[in-house]
Amino acid sequence: MEIIVIGAIALLVIFAIAQYNRLVRLNITVDEAFAQIEVQLKRRADLIPNLVETVKGYAAHEQSTFNAVVEARAKSTSATTVADVAAADGALTNALKGLLAVAEAYPDLKASSNFLSLQEELSTTENKVSFARQFYNDTVRSLNTAVKTIPTNFFAGFAKVDAREFYEVENPADRDVPNVKF
Amino acid sequence: MAENNFRALQSANKGKTYFLLASMGVLTWLVAYSALTYFGAGTTSAIVPIAVGISLVGVWGSYYGSDKLVLTMTGAKLITREDAPELFNLIEEVVIASGLPMPKVAIVEDTAPNAFATGRNPEHALIAFTTRMLEVMDRDELQGVIAHEMSHVANRDTLVSAVAASTAGAIAILSDFLTRMMFFGGRRERENQNPLALVVSLVVLMLAPIAAMLLKSAISRKREALADATAVSFTRNPAGLRKALEVLASDTTVVRQKSNAVAHIWIESPLDGQTVSKLFSSHPPIQERIATLKAMESLGPTAN
Repeated sequence: MEIIVIGAIALLVIFAIAQYNRLVRLNITVDEAFAQIEVQLKRRADLIPNLVETVKGYAAHEQSTFNAVVEARAKSTSATTVADVAAADGALTNALKGLLAVAEAYPDLKASSNFLSLQEELSTTENKVSFARQFYNDTVRSLNTAVKTIPTNFFAGFAKVDAREFYEVENPADRDVPNVKF
Repeated sequence: MAENNFRALQSANKGKTYFLLASMGVLTWLVAYSALTYFGAGTTSAIVPIAVGISLVGVWGSYYGSDKLVLTMTGAKLITREDAPELFNLIEEVVIASGLPMPKVAIVEDTAPNAFATGRNPEHALIAFTTRMLEVMDRDELQGVIAHEMSHVANRDTLVSAVAASTAGAIAILSDFLTRMMFFGGRRERENQNPLALVVSLVVLMLAPIAAMLLKSAISRKREALADATAVSFTRNPAGLRKALEVLASDTTVVRQKSNAVAHIWIESPLDGQTVSKLFSSHPPIQERIATLKAMESLGPTAN
């Protein structure tokens, strides 16, 4: 009889430890995933001065486009909270789209090897940023599910783990209803 | 909706793998039981450990050293970032999307486009591409291929196929031993047995290797389908992998392999063109894979 009671208690303790560890691990994964977004955003920010200079060499009079990019970059490097980082990230992505659209009009620029290698760097970094976001949101989803479902939810307070915020890029263009004409 | 999205496909294919692996277990048990019926406990308890032992040593040795072994068997050469910066950019993208560690990367000099992944765990993963693959694929297509290979790493398919291969191997060795022993008149223990049981166990012993082969191929096909679904969960872009498979399907060249032993690891099987039946092939028909990916595309872009 005693053995059964001790066994049951031991099982309960092991179970509780497993739930606690799972929550803490998920929480750390979310932190890591967010750090990855920041690493990639930093990489992108580092590419921008070089890109702007290169485009300037061929299209000096597109000043407003350059300013938009530089401003958006400045904002993105100072943001810290998830929501701020996401908003600045969205703004910079749009500004960069504008810059690349400008570049489209200059065949000499498009053909220059410097621009081509920058473009490859930029597109891979854009992909990395969006994959890092996607991975972050996936990890937040598993964490939030764990925090809100039985049995892990009983341990969330104890492990000091809360539901986390999704990384949602503020992009006005995404929210517009597409205008379909027949 | 629910039937075609990558999450549903992932869990369906995982479920089927578990079922098939369990069937392998049942088959092994059936063979051991038949051996017991036919030869009695003495012979069986000597033969079964030997067969299982030989198979385990063979398969698990190659599983443990799979990354190095496959390099020599395929003639692949490890490369660094400087050799192919664009390829490394793409791989890093998928690494970020999957949350896996960066794998080793290798190139195989070959005129057929193909790729494979191996390694005993994500920390020892190796992915390789033929030189032709890098020439014919555009950015999105190559990303799809890389995602498929990294999915094999994420799903630990080297381990799954090692389990399947070692069970199938043990069954084959066992059946071989025992059928030989029958011809040389083993079975000297008891004579007062039900003849029907003897016939049934004889049939089981003879047919088991074929059944094991079929199960092994079925497991491999499910893992390929699973890797396609997992690849989409990484890139959220079924079109990239679909176009890559279309390129592979329209290409008729086949990898000049050094050894058929590693045929199953390529993204497009070099052998399946020659196999008699779909049941024995290690990959699902490529048109079927393309159709599944197309169905996922029609679901529209998946939200983050």
